[in-house]
Amino acid sequence: MAAQSQGIKKLMQAEKEAAQVVASARKKKAQRLKEAKEEAAKEIEEYRKQRETLFQDKQQKYAGSKDDFAQLMQEDTQKKIKEIEAQVDTNKEAVIKRLLELVSDIKPELHQNILLQQQKEK
Amino acid sequence: MALSDAEVEKQINHMKKFIKQEAHEKADEIMIKAEEEFNIEKGRLLQNEKRKVSNYFERREKQLELQKKIQHSNLLNQARLAVLKSRDDHIKRVLEEASTRLSEVTRDSAHYQQMLRDLVAQGLFQLLEEEVTVRCRQEDVGLVKNVAGDAIRSYEQATKKTCKVLIDTTHLPAECSGGVELFVRAGKIKCTNTLESRLELMGTQMMPEIRTGLYGVNPSRHFMD
Repeated sequence: MAAQSQGIKKLMQAEKEAAQVVASARKKKAQRLKEAKEEAAKEIEEYRKQRETLFQDKQQKYAGSKDDFAQLMQEDTQKKIKEIEAQVDTNKEAVIKRLLELVSDIKPELHQNILLQQQKEK
Repeated sequence: MALSDAEVEKQINHMKKFIKQEAHEKADEIMIKAEEEFNIEKGRLLQNEKRKVSNYFERREKQLELQKKIQHSNLLNQARLAVLKSRDDHIKRVLEEASTRLSEVTRDSAHYQQMLRDLVAQGLFQLLEEEVTVRCRQEDVGLVKNVAGDAIRSYEQATKKTCKVLIDTTHLPAECSGGVELFVRAGKIKCTNTLESRLELMGTQMMPEIRTGLYGVNPSRHFMD
């Protein structure tokens, strides 16, 4: 009979160890899932940093191009204004002479009212 | 019927082995499942979060583009306005200069006298009144007196009516370069025909020609009337 209980003890021990093996596996599984979150978070952060750097670069580039454009506009405007000044210098005299001519050119015209009246009388 | 000790031992060991095997198989199953779920979860998290990050940066980049476009448009507008303003300022100055040179018109006395005759006649033609008071500069009174008769005669010829012209005792201010003002009905109606007023009228009516004269033909202009 002693052998019997020993045998049972042995089996119970084996069951205990088996349960531990399974429990250990379950614990590892939980751990693995936690790792999933951690690794994902790390990779996301890497990705975010990458995009941030790209964005900063773009911003720099834009700032630069804006200044370039402003400069270009400024130069272009100055050029156009100088052109205008040159045009005026060249043409001013003729225009003023023409205006003064027209001021002296007087053509009296009858008011509409009397023209209508005269037409009726015809 | 009882088994021998050795056989019992053998059975027990067999069962032990079986139990152990079962446990390890179960453990392996669990680990495989774990790996699967790990990949799914990690993949899901990555996808979601990456999308959020991506959208966020896309939005910011679009804003950047928009800002740039707005700034460019503003700078362009500013530039165009500056050019237009420059042109307008020059035109103003040209008209002002013309105004200061009106005295050139009155230099030739004989010619200026004819002008006064025509200015008075023009006033009479428009007013159509029987009694008209003419106001001129003090220095022109003589000239106006000389030509009033001719002006009246033109009027009579054109309208078959007669009128009387009086010279006002008040005179046009000295700043005036020439011309006349005509009043009727005790000053209730006034017709301004001074050189300044004519130049002003010209400035408005002749603006297209002034612009073309100064700056050349405008290729973008489509309506000429």
